[in-house]
Amino acid sequence: MPTRPTTRTRPATTSNGVGYHWNWGIFWEMSPEGTGTYLDMIVQGLRMTLITAALAWVIAFIVGSAIGVLRTLPGRMAPLAASAWIELFRNMPLLVQLFLWYFVFPEILPAAWGIWLKQLPAAAFLTAVIGIGFFMSARVAVQVASGIEALPQGQRAAATALGLTPAQTYRYVLLPMAYRIVLPPLTSELLNTVKNTSVALTIGLAELTARARAVQEFSFQVFEAFTAATLAYLVINLLATMAARWLEARVRVPGYGRA
Amino acid sequence: MSEPVIQIEHVTKSYGTGGPVLRDVSLTVAGGEVVVVCGPSGSGKSTLIKCVNALEPIQGGRIVVGGQDLGDRRVDLPRLRARVGMVFQHFELFPHMRVLDNLCLAQTKVLGRPRAEAETRAMALLDRVGLHAFAEKHPGQLSGGQQQRVAIARALAMDPMVMLFDEATSALDPEMVSEVLDVMVELARSGMTMMVVTHEMGFARKVAHRVVFMDQGQIAEDAPTQAFFEAPRSERAQQFLSKILTY
Ligand SMILES: Nc1ncnc2c1ncn2[C@@H]1O[C@H](COP(=O)(O)OP(=O)(O)O)[C@@H](O)[C@H]1O
Ligand SMILES: [Mg+2]
Repeated sequence: MPTRPTTRTRPATTSNGVGYHWNWGIFWEMSPEGTGTYLDMIVQGLRMTLITAALAWVIAFIVGSAIGVLRTLPGRMAPLAASAWIELFRNMPLLVQLFLWYFVFPEILPAAWGIWLKQLPAAAFLTAVIGIGFFMSARVAVQVASGIEALPQGQRAAATALGLTPAQTYRYVLLPMAYRIVLPPLTSELLNTVKNTSVALTIGLAELTARARAVQEFSFQVFEAFTAATLAYLVINLLATMAARWLEARVRVPGYGRA
Repeated sequence: MSEPVIQIEHVTKSYGTGGPVLRDVSLTVAGGEVVVVCGPSGSGKSTLIKCVNALEPIQGGRIVVGGQDLGDRRVDLPRLRARVGMVFQHFELFPHMRVLDNLCLAQTKVLGRPRAEAETRAMALLDRVGLHAFAEKHPGQLSGGQQQRVAIARALAMDPMVMLFDEATSALDPEMVSEVLDVMVELARSGMTMMVVTHEMGFARKVAHRVVFMDQGQIAEDAPTQAFFEAPRSERAQQFLSKILTY
């Protein structure tokens, strides 16, 4: 009679085969960096992730809105320029873009500028903010443009007929409704911005994922380190989603979308 | 009749690379005059109305509104448009603004009126169209007929020298058509200069001074109202009238 194969549970081991020692207490131990506990390392990473994501989002939102508006302007030049921006920043992988900004961009500048740029104390941080900001701006632009295009053609005509300038038409008539329409997809682009900050560990940014990896390298507590990081990302996403829901309810237009 | 408010002279218009949509159109609307424009779908009525407000560029001829040539680069188009009221088939109220704010936006941003003055004017006009009680509502909370009356009030708030209507009642449920027509009739009787695209021949008979019949981008007939209904000269106008009046 054939023996029934035993179900193998994956043993909690590290690659060297030694049994894994769970130790949640690790976070209260001092790290060899000498600047605090392991928990402090995670918190520092979390803070860097939040600051980077927030500033990158500000850039993405402002630049993305401007490009999105350009894309919907009458005429040929503005939409063409907007499409070029969108295709350029959306189709190149983020990792490649960060490398280009960080390693290649200083080299193609006049030598003095390049050197000054490379010696900036926060070079990785600035690169991440701008690189992720521009990358996300292309995605925000697509959303904003689709929101504007979703509005009836007559809205622009009505605003123009009342004597509003194109700038006033966008400011008071088109954008307020367009943003409302694309609030849900914009929320997920915000969450993408948070997640994308982790790519910046490749240029040396001490953000959450990088710090979790450092915790693991010093302490060998890989599961604890990445569980902490995962929980932190989860909490950020939950808070951002809740904030978006609250905003959606706050700006809901009475009677709009009624059949 | 007094000074012409709208002078359309030999206007030619096409969209993009398509064929001409307006072909040598000439039409004058004098101050205080009510002109009804009718004609089959696709004959260029909406296009003509849009050109009068410079919402669409023209390729030939010229359009003079309130003494200002729309093709003149020195003309401040937003300022001029502010004095030309326009009412659309689908109302085009701004859905995120309360009715009151719909009426105040251009008054404050374009005319530079103080907010309080703009609100006083807005409330007076809402009163005139019978919607005083709806000032705080959003457009989505109003019926189609109510929305169109608000849209008329919004245009009137700019103290227009002329009002343009493009099928203002054709998107409405039948029971709401008359409440909008009543407002338009009252407006016509108050002496407002009006250019009205409509198929409501009852409205035309009641208040129009002239009826213009358009066909395939041309003005096929331009006659005093009574003459138009009693003895249309062009064959196409006769056919059109028999079609829309017999049912
Ligand atoms: N934005 C546009 N682009 C291209 N063609 C248009 C546009 N608007 C109208 N047309 C065309 O111009 C012609 C006249 O249209 P329109 O002025 O809307 O007529 P009407 O209001 O009398 O029904 C039609 O053949 C229509 O297809
Ligand atoms: Mg039409």
